[in-house]
This record gives sequence, structure tokens and C-alpha cells, in this order.
Amino acid sequence: MDTSREDVGIAIRSAFLAKGSKQKFSLFALIVLSIIFLFVETIETKPLNYFRSFIKDVIYRGALVVSTPSKSINNFTDFVKEHVHLYDDYNKLKKENDDLKNKISETDFLELENSQLRKLIEEQISSSSNLMSARVMLDKQSLYLNSFIINIGGNKNIKNGMAVLDGKNFIGRIVDVNFFSSRVLLVSDLNSKIPVITEPSAHHAILNGHGKNEPTLEYLPENHNIQNGDKVYTSGKGGIFSPGIPVGEVKIENNIIKVLLFSDLSQITFININLENLDKGK
Amino acid sequence: MAYIYKQIRFKFFELLPLLLLFFISLNGNSIIDLKYFSINVHYILVYYWVLRKPQMLGYGFIFLSGIINDIVFGLPLGVNALSLLIIAAVAAYARVVTVRITLINDWISFIPALLIANFIYFLSLYFSNYSVDYLFLFKNSVVTFIFYPVLWGIFSLILNLTKS
Repeated sequence: MDTSREDVGIAIRSAFLAKGSKQKFSLFALIVLSIIFLFVETIETKPLNYFRSFIKDVIYRGALVVSTPSKSINNFTDFVKEHVHLYDDYNKLKKENDDLKNKISETDFLELENSQLRKLIEEQISSSSNLMSARVMLDKQSLYLNSFIINIGGNKNIKNGMAVLDGKNFIGRIVDVNFFSSRVLLVSDLNSKIPVITEPSAHHAILNGHGKNEPTLEYLPENHNIQNGDKVYTSGKGGIFSPGIPVGEVKIENNIIKVLLFSDLSQITFININLENLDKGK
Repeated sequence: MAYIYKQIRFKFFELLPLLLLFFISLNGNSIIDLKYFSINVHYILVYYWVLRKPQMLGYGFIFLSGIINDIVFGLPLGVNALSLLIIAAVAAYARVVTVRITLINDWISFIPALLIANFIYFLSLYFSNYSVDYLFLFKNSVVTFIFYPVLWGIFSLILNLTKS
């Protein structure tokens, strides 16, 4: 019995503590180092943040270079797919065009009405100069984090918490800022919780991300009257984002209130960052 | 000339696991995410080479590739490094206690490696306040385990090329 225990002890010591041939570090030392790294991640100091930003910027650039071949292959695949679906797309667009033509007159009237109402309530229309454009540098979706890297950071006064838009539609927020890059956490991510308001039902809710599946509306009042097709906008609650940024529209499935986003998160190349609430961004 | 060619080929195949390790870390391919399932290639790569020929995949490199993976995926630094080192640790232990190397032995000893590594992965993310999709993690572990013999075959082929 003792011999067997000794054997196990020797095997563990040999595996963990001894440096193997051509190994510079023992496994134990590196495991301890990883744990130290995890603890250091929770410490927020300026020199550490600078160091982290520098390392991240360097690795993002490296990843950009390494991912060039796979990007080219993906582009080629998309190109082929687009050609294969050309006829279907043509028919779909033709139908969409007809529908849109029918709606133009309706939209013109609504726009006119809207501008008159805005004048009435003296609402300030947010200036488009508050937006800053950026390009998606790396789009590596992990199982647990739906995010991507953009090519501007602290150098363009980007701050954590700023709203990120695809055109005029809300798609996420800035969660990590480096010198020349930033990370955007998408609304579909498990960790994303965005205060929103529905229209026309005017209910406040939290838009909760679910990874691969569509985000859902949560914390709604019990007697809500939300219906399929209701529009979802940011509510501006908490003062992090501007109110009224379009997010998506409601689709109710098995009593679960899902939100179909206006933007396709897998097809984003350029984004706009809303620089508003600069001093409020965490 | 033939000797030089042989040396170059030998060196290339010897460096291949290391190149693959860093390529998949930087390219964000450590987890191949297909429509209905995902496979953690990183775990299989580290497990196989630490078990079969540890001198070709230094622990320091495994640690570094884990750190790169964390940065590329936006996870707290050290999460992937720690779980990869756990995989390496189980493989190193299995190497010490195993006399005969067979696919079945490797495959069975891969179960505790996967379980412990994913548990550590889950714990690190949990304590870093990251939400974790448990079902996805479980499915990923199962499919990674099932897929192991396929990569085992490919890696064994590479291993044979470094010998001949």
C-alpha cells in the first residue's frame, strides 16, 4: 500500500515539478504563474493598464497578419455563395423594392409629421458629428464572448461604455480600450444587458444576450402588451447610452420575447461609435 | 543534397506542432465552432504532444499560446493558459504512469484531462464574473472527446515523419 502511494507521489512529482528534457520551466511554476496572472487581471493601475494595452495591441496586430489567409478563404467562399444565390437574391430584392416603393409615400408623410412634432417639443436632434467611424480589425467570436476588435482606441478618445452602431442601429458597446484598438461587446453576448424601450407599447426592459441565439427582452411588467413587430430602442436609462437608438424588432416565439436585430452581426465591417456621454462612460 | 533536404524536412515536422499551436492561438481557431457542435483542437494538440513527445512542445510555449488565446478571445489573462497547463499536467502524469501507448489508453486518459481543464476553465470565468453557457461547454467537451481519435491519427502520422 505504502509503495503504491509512493509511486503515485513520485509520478506526480515527476510530472509537475521536474523539468522534462528540453523544458525550461516546470508545469507547477507555470500553473502558479497563470494563477498570478488571473489575480493581476483584477488589479486596475495605470502602469499595468498601459502594459496590458501594449501587449494586446501587439497581439492583435500579430493575429491580424496570421488571419490574412483564412480571411481570404472566407472572402472567396462568400463570393462564391453570393453568385450561387444570385437569382434568389434578385427575386427577393425585386419584391422588397416593390414593397418599399409602396411605403415611400407613407414614410414621407411620417417624416414631415415627425419634424413638425420635434419642432413643437423643441427636441434637440443629435448631431451626426458625435459619431466616429472605425473598421473591424479582428472578428474572433469565442464560445463565451461575442465581440470584435476595432482599429481605434485611446488615441481617438474612445472610452469604455460608449455605444457602437452599425449605420444607425445599436449593436454593442465598448468594453476594453487599448492605445490603438478597442473591444466591442455585441448585444448578442451572454454578458450583454442593455436597457431598452419598446415602441409603440412603451415598456422599459433589459435586452439580454444569449450567445448564438437572438437576444431576449427581460424584466418586463407582468401585464405588458408587446406584440410581434414592435420596435426596440435604447432607453437611455442609467445615462450610459443616448435614448432612441434603434436596436431591432420583437418576435414572440413560445412566449419568449426575442428581438431580431436590425443589423446582421456577422456581416459588420465598419461601425460608428457614439461619442456622446463621454464623461459618463465608465 | 539529399541529406540537407532530409534535415530540413525533419526540422519542419519537428516544429510543426509548435507552429500549429501558435497559429491556432493567433488565428482564433482553438475552438472550431461548427453549426451544431464545437471541438477544442487546442486541448487535443497539447494533450497529444505532451503525452507522446513533450520535447516538441515546451510548457513555456503552451503557457504563451494560452495567454495569446485569452487576448484574442477577450478573456481574462491566464484562463486558457491555466486550462491548457492542466491538460499538459494530466498528459505528463499519464506519460509517467503508462508503459504501453495505445489509442484506447490515450483516449481514456483524455477524459480526466478534459473534465479537470474545463472545470478550471469554468471556475476561472466564474470568478472573473463572466457568464458561461454550461450546455455549450458540456457539448464541446463531449465532441472534443469523440473527435480525439481523428486528430490522434493525423498527429501520429506527423510523429512518424519526424522519426523516419
